[in-house]
Amino acid sequence: MNSLDILQDLLNRIHKIPDPVMAELFGIWTPVKADRKELLTKCGNVEKYIYVVLEGVQRVYYLDDQDREATILFTYRPSFSGVLDSFLLQTASKYNFETLTPSSFLRASFTSFNTLMEKHHAIETMVRKGLSGVVGGLEERLVEIQCFSSEDRFRSLLKRSPHILQLVPHKYLASYLGMDPTNFSKLINKIRI
Amino acid sequence: MIVMQIKSNELLDQLGEVTETHIRKAITLYQNMEDEQMLKPALDGGWSIAQCLDHLNGYGNVYFPKMRTAMDQNTKANDEYRSTWLGDKFTKSLDPDTGKMKMKALKGHRPERNLDAAAVVAKFIRQQEELLDMMKTARQRDLSGIRIPISIASWIRMNLGDTFRFIVAHNERHIRQADRLVPAHTMGGK
Repeated sequence: MNSLDILQDLLNRIHKIPDPVMAELFGIWTPVKADRKELLTKCGNVEKYIYVVLEGVQRVYYLDDQDREATILFTYRPSFSGVLDSFLLQTASKYNFETLTPSSFLRASFTSFNTLMEKHHAIETMVRKGLSGVVGGLEERLVEIQCFSSEDRFRSLLKRSPHILQLVPHKYLASYLGMDPTNFSKLINKIRI
Repeated sequence: MIVMQIKSNELLDQLGEVTETHIRKAITLYQNMEDEQMLKPALDGGWSIAQCLDHLNGYGNVYFPKMRTAMDQNTKANDEYRSTWLGDKFTKSLDPDTGKMKMKALKGHRPERNLDAAAVVAKFIRQQEELLDMMKTARQRDLSGIRIPISIASWIRMNLGDTFRFIVAHNERHIRQADRLVPAHTMGGK
């Protein structure tokens, strides 16, 4: 699949955009590449771009004042990426957005994306529907965090992302699950059997 | 006496690519292998996969802080790199393709049998991420001008570029040794 096919497929999953509008939407994206562990958006800065993941795995994470990390989410194809609230509101990001593996993206600036959102109702609808899906996902995750055991949260992660164990270093998965890396290793061994 | 002379970025690109293969292997394979497999000695009594990685971690422990400090203290950039005779000799002797001699690891760099395999792999991955990060910084440094003392004799110094080459060649040597211990059906990755 070429990059525009990936973009089109991703958009169509959310909302069917009329062809002439889609053609305009195609025009705002630039292909970019990033190395492993490249910090694309730093906490405190405004997210300038929205990304479409073509290759690789990324994460958005929070860093507290004692340098403890909380991984909020992973992104990989087919998905949008970046710090979404900071991008849409153009406010300072509370989180860091980095690549975990060498990655490639299409990315669009806020200015160009916002111009099209204001011009075409279909694009605004697409964003609204997309965000509704994100809200639903976050609600599910809140339930998991409050009600599930570590093991169940891990199983849920594997259900969402079956290959993630082979894609990223386990320490990031432990961070996402709110677990100590040693306990995470024990959990993998337990589940393996 | 032939020394290597290339653009710094070209050297770091090459070394970065090799390091990327090591980190990918650790992520797809080693961190998902069972402890029993990771700790199994070679048929000839040689090191297990975990011991190979632990040995590499030991070198990272010794060299990485020195390299970081040197790069923090010497921030001049140079886009040309020139190797030294000593650097070439060390790298060649460790390179799995050119260094045919079987070497016994130095005292202090011989790993134990009974290791925490998961912790060893996690450390190895962390160190390779660190190595890639140092290579990024090194693109704005003088690879020939910065000197790093070697572990066996601190009055002998290699330049930073040679140090990177030696570390990556050493990593490659022991990763290939570890490859020989991975069951054939798992090598392709899932």
